[in-house]
Amino acid sequence: MTGIIMFFAALVMLTIGYPVAFTFGSVSIFFGIIAAVVELQSDATLILVSEEFFQMFSMMPFRIYTIMNNTILMAIPLFIYMGIILQKSDLAERLLEAMGALFGKIRGGVAVSTVLVGTLLAASTGVVGASVVAMGVISLPVMLKYGYSKRLSTGTICAAGTLGQIIPPSIVLIILGDVFQQPVGDLFQAAVWPGLALVVCYVIYILCVSFFNKDAAPPIPLDDDVTRSQNIKKALIAILPPLTLIVMVLGSIFAGIATPTESASVGSVGAMVLAAMYRKLSWRVIEESALETVKITAMVFAILIGATAFSMVFVYSGADYIVEDVLTNLPGQKWTFLLLSMAAIMLLGFFIDFIEISYIVVPILLPIVDIIGLNPLWFAILIAMNLQTSFLTPPFGFSLFYLKGVCPPEVRTTDLYRGVIPFIIIQALVLLSIVIFPEVYGFSQ
Amino acid sequence: MLVRAEQIFNAINRIAGRILSVVLVLMVFNVFYDVIMRYFFHNSSVGMQEMEWHLFSVVILYGMSVALLDEGHVRVDFLYDRYRIKTKATINIIGTILFLLPLALLVFFGSLGFVRDAYEIKEISEDPGGLPFRWVIKGMIPLSFGFLIFSAIGYTIKNINLYRSDQGSDPELDRKFCGLGNQQDEGEGAK
Amino acid sequence: MLIASPAFAKKVRWKVAMTWSSTLTPLASPAPKLAKLVSDMTNGNFEIRVEGSEKHKAPLGILDMVKGGQYEMGHSASYYWKGKDVTMVFFTSVPFGMTAAEQYAWFYYGGGMELMKKNYDKFGVLSFPGGNTGVQMGGWFRKEIKTLDDLKGLKMRIPGLAGEVFAKLGVNVTNIPSGELYTSLDRGTIDALEWVGPGMDIKMGFHKIAPYYYAGWHEPASEMQFLINKKEYDKLPDDYKAILETAMKAVSADMYSENFDASATAWAQMKTEFPNIKVMTFPPEVLKAMKAASVEAYEAYAADNPAFKEVYESQKAYMAMAREWTKMSDYYYIQTSEMVE
Ligand code: NA
Ligand code: NA
Repeated sequence: MTGIIMFFAALVMLTIGYPVAFTFGSVSIFFGIIAAVVELQSDATLILVSEEFFQMFSMMPFRIYTIMNNTILMAIPLFIYMGIILQKSDLAERLLEAMGALFGKIRGGVAVSTVLVGTLLAASTGVVGASVVAMGVISLPVMLKYGYSKRLSTGTICAAGTLGQIIPPSIVLIILGDVFQQPVGDLFQAAVWPGLALVVCYVIYILCVSFFNKDAAPPIPLDDDVTRSQNIKKALIAILPPLTLIVMVLGSIFAGIATPTESASVGSVGAMVLAAMYRKLSWRVIEESALETVKITAMVFAILIGATAFSMVFVYSGADYIVEDVLTNLPGQKWTFLLLSMAAIMLLGFFIDFIEISYIVVPILLPIVDIIGLNPLWFAILIAMNLQTSFLTPPFGFSLFYLKGVCPPEVRTTDLYRGVIPFIIIQALVLLSIVIFPEVYGFSQ
Repeated sequence: MLVRAEQIFNAINRIAGRILSVVLVLMVFNVFYDVIMRYFFHNSSVGMQEMEWHLFSVVILYGMSVALLDEGHVRVDFLYDRYRIKTKATINIIGTILFLLPLALLVFFGSLGFVRDAYEIKEISEDPGGLPFRWVIKGMIPLSFGFLIFSAIGYTIKNINLYRSDQGSDPELDRKFCGLGNQQDEGEGAK
Repeated sequence: MLIASPAFAKKVRWKVAMTWSSTLTPLASPAPKLAKLVSDMTNGNFEIRVEGSEKHKAPLGILDMVKGGQYEMGHSASYYWKGKDVTMVFFTSVPFGMTAAEQYAWFYYGGGMELMKKNYDKFGVLSFPGGNTGVQMGGWFRKEIKTLDDLKGLKMRIPGLAGEVFAKLGVNVTNIPSGELYTSLDRGTIDALEWVGPGMDIKMGFHKIAPYYYAGWHEPASEMQFLINKKEYDKLPDDYKAILETAMKAVSADMYSENFDASATAWAQMKTEFPNIKVMTFPPEVLKAMKAASVEAYEAYAADNPAFKEVYESQKAYMAMAREWTKMSDYYYIQTSEMVE
C-alpha cells in the first residue's frame, strides 16, 4: 500500500517543480521511514525505526556502484557527445535539412528523417537515454527552426529515441531473455519486424498529421533558383558525411570491431574527425561539447540514482507482493489473460521501471503462458513493446524527462506530455496488431 | 557578502566543469583506444577497459553538482514556469534543504563504511590485469556526494540572492531562470 | 505435554540476497528451496525471504551486504571475492582442480570446511557449500584451437583465475558485459567465451553462433556458497541452527543434481538441433601450457600469501590422494562399460 501512496506523493511533489532526480530521492526517504514503521509494526520504537531505515538506505552505495560499473550505460555519454559534436559543427542540421529536402514539398520531411535516424541509432544501442538525448540534441533545434510544432517535434523524438528498446540490440530484450529463459538471439530476431512496423506507423502518422495540419510540419523551403534535380544532388552531398558516420557506428558493430557500447566511441571520434574536415572543430567546440555532455549525462544519471532509491523503497514496502497477489489470480482463458496482463503491465509502467516489471510480473505470468500454450517468444515481444511504451507514458516516462533535459526553455513539460500521446496510441495499435495477426510478424502459434 | 560567496561557488563550479570535460574526452578516447587495440593489434588490457568505467563514474558522480549550479537538472515545469522569481527561489531553497540535502547526507554517511571495507581489505580488481585500489573509485561515492552537499549550499545561497534581488517581475532574470538547456538559445532566435 | 507448542517457538525473519536474478536456474534454485525447507521444518516460524539481483541490484555486493548486516544471508560464489582475497578462489573451483565428488569430500571430510571458515572469519561471515555446477565447459570458440599459436591474440571473454592463465598464454582477455556477449560473439568482436555448461549456455544461444564447444579445464566443480552474518547466526536457537545447516546441505546437493539434469537435457537438445556443433578437447600441447601456467600462478600467489599457500597445499594433497580413487572408480567404470557398448 505504501508503494501506491508513494507514487501519488511523488506525483504531487514533482509538480512543485523541484528537479525530478532529487524529488524522487527524497520521496523515497520519507516513505522509507514509513516503510520501516510498517515493517516493525507493533514494536516500532524510534531507535528500531531509524535502524531499519538506515539499514535500508545503506543499500544505496551498492546500487550506485552497480550503476557505475555498468559499462552498457556508458553508451549514454558517448552518444550524447557524438550528438553534440554533430550539432555544434552543423553537420546534424545539414543531414536533416538535406533529408528533408529529399522529401521535397512533402510536409513533415524533417520529422520523418528524425524517425529514420532514430531507427539507425536504435540499431546501434539498446539504452534509451542515449538515443533520446542524442536525437534531442541533433534534431529538435532543426525542427523548431523550421517551425514544426513543439508537440510533433518532441513526440517524434521521444518515440524515435525509444525505438532502441525494441530494435535489437536492446536491454529490455536481454532481460526478458533471462526471465523467459529464451535465447537472446531469438528474441532479437523476433523483435525486428515489430520494430520496423512501429517505424512505418510513425512515418505514416507524421505524414498524415503534416498533411492535415498545415502548421504542424511545414516543408523546408527549397532554393528556388536551382532545379529540383540540383537540389537533390546538393542534398545527397550533404547527407554523405553524416551518413558515413552512421555507417561507421553500425558497421563497427556488424564487422565485429566494437561492441554496441563501444561503437558509440567510434561515432564520437568519427564525429570529431568529420567536424575537423569541415573546419568546424576547435578546442572550444571540443570543450563546450564535453561540458554539455557532462551536464546532460549527470542529469540522466541523477534521475537513475533518484529512481533507484524510489524503486528500492517501493520494493521494500512490499508493493511487489501486492502486484504478485493480483496477477496470480489472472484468468486462464487466452484472450482475457492477454488483455488483463497487457493492461497490468501498461499500468505498472506508469509507476516503476522496466527491470522491476520484467522480474516482478513476468515470472508470475510464465506458468499461465505455459498452460494456455502461448508462444513464449511472441509473448515476450508483446511485453517488450508494452514496456517500451512505459518509457513514454506521462508522468514518469523516462524518455520525457531525458528529452526535457535538452529542450530549450520555451518547450514545456506539457508539450512533451501531449506530444507523445499519439505515439503511445500508435504503439498500442501496433501491439494489438501483433496480438491479432502474429503470423504477419513471423510468429507461429 | 552572499553575492561574493555565490561568485566563489560559481568559480569552483566552473573549474569542476572543466576538469570533468577533460575526463569525458579522456573517456571517449579510452574506449576508442581499446577498440583499436583489440581489433587491429590483438591486444587488450583489462586495466584500460576498467579505466573506462572509472572515468565514466567520475563524470556521472561529480557531474551532478556541476549540473545543479548550472540548472542542468530536469524539472516538471508546467506550474514552475508560471511562478514569480521569489516563489521559484523559495521552492529551490526549501527543496534543496528538504529534498536534496537529506539524500546527499544519507548517501555520504551511508557509503563511508563501503569505502572503508574496500580499503581495509586492500580490494583490487578480480580480473587479470585489472586495476588495483578499489577503495579509490569506491571513495568517489562519498566524495562526490560531499561535493554535492557543498554545491547544495552554493545553490541555496544563489537562490537567496535571487530572492533578494527580485524587484517584482524582471523578464530577463525570469528567462535566465527558466532553467535548463541554455545551450539552445540560438534555436529560439531563429524561430 | 512434552511437545513444544509452536506458539512459544521463536519467530525469526531473515532475508537472503542472491548474486543471480531469481530466474537464473539452477544457480537461483538453492536459496528458495532452502527458504521453503526451513519454513516447513519450523512450522513457519523461521521465515527466509529470497531476493534476487533484480531486487537488491548489487549482484557482486553479497559478501559486503552480509558482512554489513543488510542481509542476514547470501547466496553467491567465493571466487567473486578474488579481488578482496585471492584465497577465496579455492572455495569455488580452480583450473585443474578437483571434481565435484572430490571437492565435496575435501570440504566435509578433508578439512575444507575448517579452511573456508578460517578465511571467511575476518569478514565476520560464516560460509557453507551451496550447490555445485559440476564440470564447466571450456567455452564456445569460433575457430579451432590446434596449436599454442592459435591462442595468441585470441579475443576471449574469460574472467578470474582462468583468465589470468589464458592471458599468460597470449590470449587477449576481454571484459564484455553479459548483456553484450551474444552480439559480440556473433559479430566476431570476440572469438571465444566461457559461460557455464549446456544447461545454462543454451539460454544464451551461443551454440547457434559458435561451432566449437571445448571441454572444461578451468572450473571442474564450481561450488556456490551460502554466506551468513555471524552475529545473526549466533542469535539463532540451537534447533534452528541445526535445521538451517541440514537444509543447506540438502539444497546444495539438490542443485548439483538439478544442474546435471539441466545440462544433460540441454545437450541432448542442442545436439539434435545443431548436429554440427563439435565437442573438442584442447590439444595436449595447449593443455600442458595451461597446466604449467596455472601452477606457476598458484606458486606465485603462495610465495607471498601464507593463507593461499595453506589452502593450496591442502587441496593439492587431498586431490593427489582422491584422484587415484576417482580413476579406479568412476573413470575405469566408464571405460569398462563403454567397452561392451
Ligand atoms: Na536497440
Ligand atoms: Na564459468
